[in-house]
Amino acid sequence: MLVPRPGRHLAFLALILIVCCGISGCGMQAQASSQAAAPASVPKSRQDQQMTPLPVTTPIVQPERLVIPAISVDANVENVGILPSGDLETPTKNPWVDTGWYDEGPQPGQQGSSVIDGHLDRPGGYPAVFWLLRNLHVGNEIEVVFSNNSTLHFRVTDVEYYPPQDAPLQEIFGNSNGKFLNLITCAGDWIPSQGQTTLRLVVYTTLM
Amino acid sequence: MKQKKTRISWGGIALLVCGLLALTGFLASQSTRASAASPTFVRIIHASPFVGTADIFLDGSPLLTSFAFGAVTGYAAIPAGPHKVQIALVGKGIGASALTETLTTQPGTVYTIAAIGTSPQNLSLEVFVDNNSAVSGTAKVRVYQLSPNSGSTNVTSDGQALVPAVTYQQASNYFTMPEGACTFDLASSQNGKSLSIATTLKTNTVTSIFEVGMFNGSPRAELVTTQVPAVPGLPQTGSNPFAILSDGQLSTPWLLIVVAMLFVGGTLFTRRLFAGH
Repeated sequence: MLVPRPGRHLAFLALILIVCCGISGCGMQAQASSQAAAPASVPKSRQDQQMTPLPVTTPIVQPERLVIPAISVDANVENVGILPSGDLETPTKNPWVDTGWYDEGPQPGQQGSSVIDGHLDRPGGYPAVFWLLRNLHVGNEIEVVFSNNSTLHFRVTDVEYYPPQDAPLQEIFGNSNGKFLNLITCAGDWIPSQGQTTLRLVVYTTLM
Repeated sequence: MKQKKTRISWGGIALLVCGLLALTGFLASQSTRASAASPTFVRIIHASPFVGTADIFLDGSPLLTSFAFGAVTGYAAIPAGPHKVQIALVGKGIGASALTETLTTQPGTVYTIAAIGTSPQNLSLEVFVDNNSAVSGTAKVRVYQLSPNSGSTNVTSDGQALVPAVTYQQASNYFTMPEGACTFDLASSQNGKSLSIATTLKTNTVTSIFEVGMFNGSPRAELVTTQVPAVPGLPQTGSNPFAILSDGQLSTPWLLIVVAMLFVGGTLFTRRLFAGH
């Protein structure tokens, strides 16, 4: 006669649950996490640390922090440029908690399309600064704090997903019909052979 | 009355939990589908020697006023789809349009639209699809041949041919140049005359050189240049979710799995050991 062995069942259940949690935590990015992306604890700006004050020069005012209350993001802003591949660079000093402002385009608040990017996740699938960017909706507010402590407020106007090769780059980077700030991160599924995800998420905002 | 005994199936619960997790992931992944209605980006150059300063109307409304020969606009965003373009001499009004044409534009596409013509009775719009994507560390250049009596044009810099000859109503392929001062020479195969223009190329920009006007007539042939910022590709902001090693350390999720499996395996082994006694 077979005798039920609860211990074995419990162990089996625990194994299944742990493996499932492990896999989902490993960056099946489709799984929406209820955890808030950890607010970036960031040192003072690079400008402040490295610039030697000169007697008569006017300090360069540039974006220093990006604040998105709706998803608990308060992140340092690094300057980023263009990689040899022609793609937008990502933050390099603190890649998982900082955001990157494309400094060859306009500043946030200037005429045209300003762009800030940030990582979705870290190796292994843990959340990075823009993990919850997907949760933004039209109407959410975004703040950019500048090095002179001034703040500009932007409002989300659109949220779109694009395959990277089919994205409307001119709209994202080159729309001069207003004062825009566009936020970019990755989305979709990881493609091991390409070393990238299938989609990019672009959150379009406009100056309030 | 005999009450039916309910048995809890642990295996069933496990399967249910797994199913729910999988379903959650599937539904979340389905929310990441693209749906975009992007605008079109259009710039216009007045390269029609037979129309003086003009007013340009888009879909019946004024778009540009007092648009002089050789002038180039910046890129403007307009809704994608069909658009009625009309060109009239300045101040004459839309009713006196010398040209009326309907163009259909595609979402997200970038265009240069040139008003051209070989005679006062033969005005038209020539549409070029532009590609302003960045080639890192270099300057991109493109030549548009819009001079009716230039024939094919050879494009050189410092005596070096840069692209195959460009004929009327054509644009060259994009070519890249290092940043810095540069002089471009455009030589007409039809009349042996050439035009030169000096410009400063910047990295991550796109420079357009337009050849407009008449070599034997008025307005005289000239070169017009514009420079716009190149647009980068979208960044790679994702990471390998299956990465086991990160900076020489086992990444936490995989570590969790290994520890959990050791724990479960140890529990099973211990129970079996005691069950044997």
